[in-house]
Parts: sequence; structure tokens; C-alpha cells
Amino acid sequence: MRYGHTGKVLRVDLTRGTIATQVLDEELYRMYPGGKALAAYLLLSELPKGVDPLGPENMLVLSNGLLTGAPFSTATRFTAAAKSPLTGGYGESEAGGFWGPELKMAGYEAIVITGRAASPVYLWIKDDHAEIRPADHLWGREPEEAQATIRAELGDKLIRVLQIGLGGMGAVMGSKNLKGIAVRGSTKYLENAAEPSVIADLGKTLAKRVKENPLSWDLQVKGTPGLTAGLNASGILPTRNFRAGAFEGVDNIRWEQYESQLLSARRSCYACAVRCKREVKVDDRYQVSDNYGGPEYEAVSGFGSNCGIDDLQAIAKANELCGRYTMDAISCASVVSFAMECYEHELIGPEQTGGLELRFGNAEAMVRCVEMIARREGIGDLLAEGAKRAAAAIGGDAHFFAMQVKGQELPMHDPRGKVGVGLSYATSETGAEHLTAFHDAVLANPDSLQFKGVVPLGISEPLPPRDFSRRKVEYYTVMEHWNNFGKTNGLCYFGPAPRSFIAIEEVVDAVNAAAGWDLSLEEMLRIGERANNLTRVFNAREGFTRKDDTLPERLFTPLEAGALQGVSYPRDEFERALSDLYEIKGWDVESGVPTREKLRELGIEWAADLI
Amino acid sequence: MRIHLGGHLGWYDGEKRDWLTIEQSDPISLPALAARLGVPPEEVAIIAVNRRLAHWDDPPVRDGDVVEFFPPMGGGAVGGG
Repeated sequence: MRYGHTGKVLRVDLTRGTIATQVLDEELYRMYPGGKALAAYLLLSELPKGVDPLGPENMLVLSNGLLTGAPFSTATRFTAAAKSPLTGGYGESEAGGFWGPELKMAGYEAIVITGRAASPVYLWIKDDHAEIRPADHLWGREPEEAQATIRAELGDKLIRVLQIGLGGMGAVMGSKNLKGIAVRGSTKYLENAAEPSVIADLGKTLAKRVKENPLSWDLQVKGTPGLTAGLNASGILPTRNFRAGAFEGVDNIRWEQYESQLLSARRSCYACAVRCKREVKVDDRYQVSDNYGGPEYEAVSGFGSNCGIDDLQAIAKANELCGRYTMDAISCASVVSFAMECYEHELIGPEQTGGLELRFGNAEAMVRCVEMIARREGIGDLLAEGAKRAAAAIGGDAHFFAMQVKGQELPMHDPRGKVGVGLSYATSETGAEHLTAFHDAVLANPDSLQFKGVVPLGISEPLPPRDFSRRKVEYYTVMEHWNNFGKTNGLCYFGPAPRSFIAIEEVVDAVNAAAGWDLSLEEMLRIGERANNLTRVFNAREGFTRKDDTLPERLFTPLEAGALQGVSYPRDEFERALSDLYEIKGWDVESGVPTREKLRELGIEWAADLI
Repeated sequence: MRIHLGGHLGWYDGEKRDWLTIEQSDPISLPALAARLGVPPEEVAIIAVNRRLAHWDDPPVRDGDVVEFFPPMGGGAVGGG
């Protein structure tokens, strides 16, 4: 008997127009219980080396975690993974909302999409029924309109429709002529759980705890835009393409202004009492629809301070355009700030921008540039390729202004003030990513809520944010395994400790209560480690080595302003820490590739034969 | 005196305020001010007084000053290594 999951994977071949259902063995599922782990296993074991990410041979995997759809806060996430057109390596992103839980209620742990449809289609899944339907009439339509049309023609207002644009995953979906995936399910999560009362009780406990815990209270009241002022005071608010760590216009973009100028409602993902999603509406100098989520911190800083812009309405508009055109706000904002710096250094000029004065601080030009990227107009056609490829085409010093790793643009966190985040940026299999392990300040004070939250992971020694000792790297590694387990089980980053209000022991209990397992915390960390190694092997097979685990050169130069003015990322310590990390993880120190011994220890020696 | 409680520090205020004004004509040290507000020092990572970075043992503050306390969330801890 299996609990908490059906083991069912829906296989859709768009070239042939066929649909089949596969049922995974319980033992296999236990090794890769959904989300990142299952996606990495499927991609590594089935995709050959060297496929064209935008060709029909690429696979798009959409996988729920074991806990996705469980009726307690933050159990909402699903993974979208494929070979990335942005990096050429393993590509992945997670999202919350309602789609993953609905897919779970329809009885599927994952959908694997291969091939390419001859003409635009969308997929319709209702419990055991799945069909490929024509979408010629939806192609080129904006998400809200396309979704409304799909709901109307299927006659169900509650259908959840997936349309993605994350880390190149949207481009993969588009390359397959797949416009969207509409889902409706009818099996409640608790009907399949081994111990439903444990899950239900946790749901009640967490719903009550949201307002009683300062960390979740903060996420509910302010959400991530509450970070802006504190990061500015810390000297690590990315400003003008990471030249500085403090922004003179911060008072115009901090949370208090966001709340008074933009906020129209606080929204929630499925069954989540945290309600950290911001809804915004503007009807003034810009028109911003409330159909798309409001800017998160990443967009506030990315389109704001990092472009030298303190106009919240323009920031909200740029963020809305990203939603409207299903583009990732981090990459898009970072490409705009890259282009602004190129313009200021006369590497590009009005002849390339169509007369647009693309300078830091020009809010109107920033918004227009986002439109041009979305529509691939003028220089937008080049910028849509990402900062790395755009820099190569522009030439000269442009590569120095491209703040990217492996082709993925940097999120809005400056590692010069938190060195462990630099290790994340350098070594994450998806390129620069800020949710790989931890943000160093978690470890600063042993009496703080966040530090106490990670003590069960064996973390005991407080370490300052710029400490780069081997101990820091050890803690980094265990936190990375914990986060990878989170990306596997379907919990949001804002759920479990250290970021928010669910104790590590509660996660362990919930997983076992859902699946009827008796896994220890160590075994769950091992699942996270296994997922990490699978993705590392995926990249090694594509030719990635230690030389690709690096950081943009600018980070090794001093910050120009702010509380950390003059501080650089420590190059020598970084190289030593990288060797420490490989050693601790059981990877070859010279190449950065997992050893056969490590893969055998993780029960995936078959992966060693693929390198 | 104007005080900002950034991030989750506002939770410790009885009225859950981000910004509050108190009367403090006598100089008060930063640790004493945090204690008066009920803000646990272990949750404070960054302090700014009148826009400049401050430390727990800096000179006392008083009416007319703007004091901002921030937690470590997503941020750093200046001077901490």
C-alpha cells in the first residue's frame, strides 16, 4: 500500500499526440519523493547528453512534492525542470499557488512532456481523463485572457491553468507549442495520507501560529518587500548593477511606501495562512493590473535600486509586464541594469536602443526596455537572450557588466556582505541562485529565532556573515541538503526553519505521517543530497567543471558606497572554500564532479556511468 | 524620538507598529532603548541612528534622533567579520 502519493506520472508525447500513465515503484519513489529529486532523476536517466534545449528531444518535467497539496501552510510547491536554454545545464524552478495542489488532487505526482506539437496545443487533465486540445486561438494571448478562454470552453471556473516563464522553462514549454496545462482534480490530500489526523492537526496548529510567530507574522504583514530598507542599512542592497550596496532613493521604494502607494490586497497560495503574496493596483502615471502578483523584494530591488530608480509605480509596471509576458523578473531586471551600464559606458548607444536614453535612473526607459525585451523589439531581441549572450555580442568590457553565473543572472543579494550566498551563486546547478542554502546572517546570533531553528541540523557554532571558515562551509552543506529536501517535498522556502515558522521536527513528522514511512532527519537530508548529486552529474555530463563554479568579476572589486563601502568578495578564501565544499560533499576537488564512491554511497552508482 | 522596527521586530511592539514615536528627553543607551520597546537584542542585527550605522555601545540617543532597528533576515551584520 502506498500513502501520500499515487506514484503516477503522466507521459505526454506532443509529436505523436499520445498520452500514457506510468506508475513508479514505491521503492523508487522513496529514493526520489517528488519535486527536485524526481525531476532530476527523470531528466538524468532519460535525457541523452547534448540535446538542444529548445528542440523536441528536450523533456519538460513538472513534479509535485510528497507534501504538495497537504492542507497545511506552505505545502504548495511544484518543480518545473528541463535542460535549460539559459545555461545549457540542469534547469529548474519552483512555484507555489494552486496548480501543484490541483494536479495532486487529479492523482498525478508528475507530468513529463516530450516532443513538439505540430501546431499550438494545451493539455487538459481532469482526474483520470487527459487530452491534448488545439490552442491556435490562444497563441500570443496574454495569460489572463488565455486562462479565461480555457475555463470558458471547458465550462469550469475553478480550473487551474499553468503558464510558466521561469529560468528558461517557459521557453522550453513554448518550444513545444504547448500554451498551458489546465487541471482539475477531485481527490482530497487526506484521503491518501497514512495518518490524516496528524496532517490535519498540523494544519490547525500552523494556521494559529502564523500570527504568533514573529517570522511568519512579518511575511504576512509585509512579505518580501519588507527586506528593502534593512538590506540598504546593511550595505548590501544591489544598486546600479551591483556597483554599490546602498541607494539614495531607498525611502521611496521601502515597504512603507509600497504599502501606501501600491498594495491593494494580501493573497495566499493553496491552504496557506501565511498569505505573503502582495496584490497591487495602480491607476495613475502607470496602469498596473491587479491580475498579476505584486513585486516581490527581488523586483523592487532589481527594477528599483539596481537600475537607480526610485519610482515604485514604474517598478510595479515592469513587474506586471513580466507577469503579463511570463518572464522571470530577476533575469529581466538584471538584463536591464546590464544594458544601462553598457549604455553609460557607450558600449551601446541610441542607434542600438532606438533612441531610448537607457541610463540609470530613467524609469520610463526601464519600463520601455522591459516591453522591448518581451516583444523582442530592437535591442530587446538581443537582451532577451540574457546578459551573458548579450555581453558576448556587444563585446568590449560588456562581460564585466554582465552579473551572471553559468548564464543565470544574479538575484538581488550581494555576497560581499554574506559570503555563503556567493558559494550558492557559484555552485548552484542552475546558475546564480539565492535559495540554495542559507543567508549567512542566520548563523550570526545563537540566541536568535533563526539560529535556534537550525540546531536540529547539527548547527551549534555562531559564525559572522563574512566568516569563511571550513565550519561555515560544513554548515552551508547541511543547509543545502535541507533546502534540497524542501524543494523535493513541496514545502515553500518560507515554511520550515530557518526562514519561517515550521520546526524541522514537524517537517519530519509530516513527511512520515503522509507516506507512512519512518524516515529519520538524516535520511531526509540524504534525499536532498541525492538530488543535488543527480543535478551535479547532469551538468558534468554536459561538460561543466570547477571552472564554471565562479562569480562575476565585479564581486571581487570593492563596493562603491554604503555600510560596506570598500569591501570585496575574498577571492583567495573563495577558492579555498570551494575546495572545502567539494571535499565535504565527496566530489573530486580538481574537477568538482561527484566521485563514484559518493554516488554509490547515495545509492545512485548508475549515475557515475553517465559522466 | 522616531523609531523604526524593521522586518519581524515590529511584532514585539504591543500595537505591531513599524514606526513609533516616544518621548525620551533624557539620553538613553541603545540596549536600554531596545529593552524599553520590548525588542530582544538577539533579534537585532543592524542599527541605524540618523541614517548612520550604529552599534550597541554607541553614545546614547534622545528626542530628535531617528533610530532604526533591523533583524538579520536576508541581510548582514556589519562589523561582524
